[in-house]
Amino acid sequence: MTRTFLTVAAILGAVAIATTGNAGDRAEDTQWEGDLAPIPAAEWNYERAAHLLERAGFGGTPEDVARLAALSPEDAVSFLIDWEQVSNDHLQEFDHSGIFRTGMIEVPRSRAQAVRDARRDGEALGVKIKPGGSRPLQPVVNAFFYILNADRLEIRRLSRWWGERMVSTERPLQEKLALFWHGHFATGNVKVRDYRKMLQQLELFHAKGKSPLRDLLRGIATDPAMLVYLDAGQNVKGNPNENFAREILELFTLGPGNYTEQDIREAARAFTGWTHDPHTLAFVIDADQHDTDAKTFLGHTGNFDGYDIIDLILQEPATARFLAGKLYRYFVRDEGDEAVVDALAEQYRTSGYDTAGLLRTIFLSRDFYASASVAGQIKSPVQMVVGTYRKLGLADVAGVPDFHVATERLGQRLFEPPNVAGWAGGRAWITSATLLERGNFGRQLLFPDMFAPRSPDPLYSDTLVKVGAKVAAGAEITQATVQGESMAMEMAASDEAYNTRYASWHGRSEAMRIVKPAKNDAAQLDVLALVNGLETPEAVVDSLCRRLLRRPLAEADRQALIQFLDEQLAGASLAEAASWIREPLRLLVHLVLSTPEYQLS
Amino acid sequence: MNFSPFRRLSRRHFMSAAGAAGLGAFGVPPIFQQALAASDTTTDAADRAAQDREGPILVVVELTGGNDGLNTVVPYGDDAYYNARPRIGIPAVGLRTIDDHFGFHPSCKGLAELYDRGELAIVHGCGYDQPSFSHFISMSYWHSAAPNSGESSGWVGRAAANLSPTPRRDYIINVDERPSQAVRNAVHPALVFDQPETFRRDGVYEQQPLFDELIGDPGASQSNLAFLSRSARDARQSAMLVREAWGAYQSDVDYGINVGLAEDLRKIVALIDARMPARFYYCGYRGNSFDTHVHQVDVHARLLAYATDAIRGFVDDVDRIGRSDDVLVLVFTEFGRRVPENISLGTDHGTATPVFLAGAPVAGGQYGTPPSLTELDDGNLLHTTDFRRVYASAIGDWMGADSRAVLGGDFEPIPAVATA
Repeated sequence: MTRTFLTVAAILGAVAIATTGNAGDRAEDTQWEGDLAPIPAAEWNYERAAHLLERAGFGGTPEDVARLAALSPEDAVSFLIDWEQVSNDHLQEFDHSGIFRTGMIEVPRSRAQAVRDARRDGEALGVKIKPGGSRPLQPVVNAFFYILNADRLEIRRLSRWWGERMVSTERPLQEKLALFWHGHFATGNVKVRDYRKMLQQLELFHAKGKSPLRDLLRGIATDPAMLVYLDAGQNVKGNPNENFAREILELFTLGPGNYTEQDIREAARAFTGWTHDPHTLAFVIDADQHDTDAKTFLGHTGNFDGYDIIDLILQEPATARFLAGKLYRYFVRDEGDEAVVDALAEQYRTSGYDTAGLLRTIFLSRDFYASASVAGQIKSPVQMVVGTYRKLGLADVAGVPDFHVATERLGQRLFEPPNVAGWAGGRAWITSATLLERGNFGRQLLFPDMFAPRSPDPLYSDTLVKVGAKVAAGAEITQATVQGESMAMEMAASDEAYNTRYASWHGRSEAMRIVKPAKNDAAQLDVLALVNGLETPEAVVDSLCRRLLRRPLAEADRQALIQFLDEQLAGASLAEAASWIREPLRLLVHLVLSTPEYQLS
Repeated sequence: MNFSPFRRLSRRHFMSAAGAAGLGAFGVPPIFQQALAASDTTTDAADRAAQDREGPILVVVELTGGNDGLNTVVPYGDDAYYNARPRIGIPAVGLRTIDDHFGFHPSCKGLAELYDRGELAIVHGCGYDQPSFSHFISMSYWHSAAPNSGESSGWVGRAAANLSPTPRRDYIINVDERPSQAVRNAVHPALVFDQPETFRRDGVYEQQPLFDELIGDPGASQSNLAFLSRSARDARQSAMLVREAWGAYQSDVDYGINVGLAEDLRKIVALIDARMPARFYYCGYRGNSFDTHVHQVDVHARLLAYATDAIRGFVDDVDRIGRSDDVLVLVFTEFGRRVPENISLGTDHGTATPVFLAGAPVAGGQYGTPPSLTELDDGNLLHTTDFRRVYASAIGDWMGADSRAVLGGDFEPIPAVATA
């Protein structure tokens, strides 16, 4: 497909690129720190447009940036925030594998639960107990492991699909915000065990990410994935489960220190009976389980329900400060000026928590363009991977390297935040290991390894491969599954009614047969096109650095890259080397992607 | 409380004698030489060798999510326990008996074995004043060892800084995807890695020298760039050491099911065996796994089996490499669970919980006063032991650091480990 950015850029690009320098520490940039007044049109330029696209999106090609730079600051910000104006019709819906079969309503919370259900009802997961013979419950347990593993595979497909969407969307802020809310209202499929609910939650973030916070909060409080994740099904009249109430106050709205344990208990009562219909995945209130007595919450007393609690939470200035501060840190910088955050919080609250309006103020503010705000933020893994595709002008995500595996290795599994607090972000992304791995992603993208197992399947297990081989060779099930392991495992694995390990092998095999395969194609980068028309190693290095880096390399490092390319050229000019220069250019791009500077947005 | 400090000596002494003979015959292992070279350059190599080879090692294991202490060390002699937990209480029959009051959960085979060998100390009723019921806040308090203070550094990190005020590479090793607050400190950057196999910078031969060059600017005024540059500088060398250590690791010791914790503890044995300079190791049973709000009976039994088999496996594996006298294990969680079970056959966030010390250096037995199951604060145990008393044992008695300075106060050590 043709990206809108590219077509317009063809007209505007060359001029804008030619007139840029890197963002310096000029006096006015420093003075802008803490100033929420809008940036004057006269100060709008390529570098600032690049910064905007970097933060309100994932960055882009020089042509993408030039297009924004050619607009006024207001129009550039509007282009990103008022994304309904921009067509996104080329995006593909998620292509479901169809893993839930008749009778499979939800994934049971454990194998033991599936067995209990089957013993009670004569069937579970749409599979009946065998009337006799050995291991009458085997088909039920097989089905449990099938749906458990199929869902694990499907959530990875969903992660890849979202990755592709982030790379190919014309509305990058919509995705960047969805990523923010995913980390904020952190919900993990490891507990939800239903990719459909996770997709539904992502659709909420896409639809209401910039809506007034009240709409989003009401959406998330009635969202099936969230309800399951925080045990809402267990929150019933007379025995409230405090999990959701605690997290909504501590992590989602007020922040610690702005409520009491008693407030948590009362809020939990207000949310009693909130659950979902497992057949339709729709929110329902179980009136019999809802506590209709009076509650006292944050000093107010009444027969509150969950919606009332949300409205009371929104009256608190602490909520505005907590959210405005978090949005500021996500989009601008780690250490926000207190007064700036206070002012943004005030605007947020008095505007009825208008998230779009808050973002407009932030993206237009001089503070956003002050040198302290520029090129100092450590990219999240998803931001880094998506941004790499976009900066290199790759419109599609390849199968090799696999998006899900790559981002997981870097420490960010979509739909699986480490806990309900979400990803810590910032420097917490960087360890010795993940820093090396970031460079390795660059290599995988530039030199896709087609000999490696394709999109390595996380369900592969040596133990189960051996089980499969023994089964195929005619071994009896117990024989096929016994392994020299600890007593605890043997106890867990053996039950006369079924064999757990056999079921695990059977279920995984079936899941891998049913779930649609991941793509296998290699990333296709026309590396020559990136340096088209450039004549010297200096020009090539400078051009690639300007495309990829928001902060210039130290001069010694720049020289090292120039020398590297020079040696690769072995005395030939770039034009003379045209027939074999692709490989050295790929090495060069990989080196740039490996620098510490590349990790900064 | 009583404890029975019988300790097996023969096997361990045999092993360490054999280890010494091995070194004598083959000289310093190559990995050890690299580890020395990788360490900081400010101290004399001989000093470092003495310190690194002989120094005590602390391994901290975190059980994330809030382990249900009452269903781990079960007070089967107390009717109040069964009254509060009519459906999820662990029946006395089947417990692994400790004494006439306590028994380990049937799945705690690993802990029971260590206890029977005199290599496990149970410290009852650990907690702190004004407890938080939030995972993140309470865990942060256990990490900082400074509840209700906003302290952002970690006790393990501060202990390391106290022991060696000059920066040393690979002095603290945190096996995880991301660093724990517990290892945070102003002196030593923690080495944090997850998978040894992929802990490597890939690139062709001609690129390799450039990777050493393109490390940015460790002295940059932009603090994140400086941070990234320092990390880049250290990462490659540490990675090589870790990969070689892991490549050389082979063990027949049974860790039970190879869950993440077992794998991570194996990595730590490999590094100790390779004589990495680290004196502090940190790992955990990840994923908030012990947060058993709902239908906890099956899942908690599994978790306890996996975790305690792994811990017992680790202690045995350390013995296998002849280093059992050098290694102390501390096992903790951010809080216990409420005394009464909830309606969902689970338990909600609570307060006090036992902490375990494991390994040959431990004088096994029970320490501290078990909290009352009837005098409760709104269904929660009143802690009897400030958890920092256990830290004081680890920091002062075991590591030989100044626990008062590290903990910012006097905490009487639990007398369960030999004084360094």
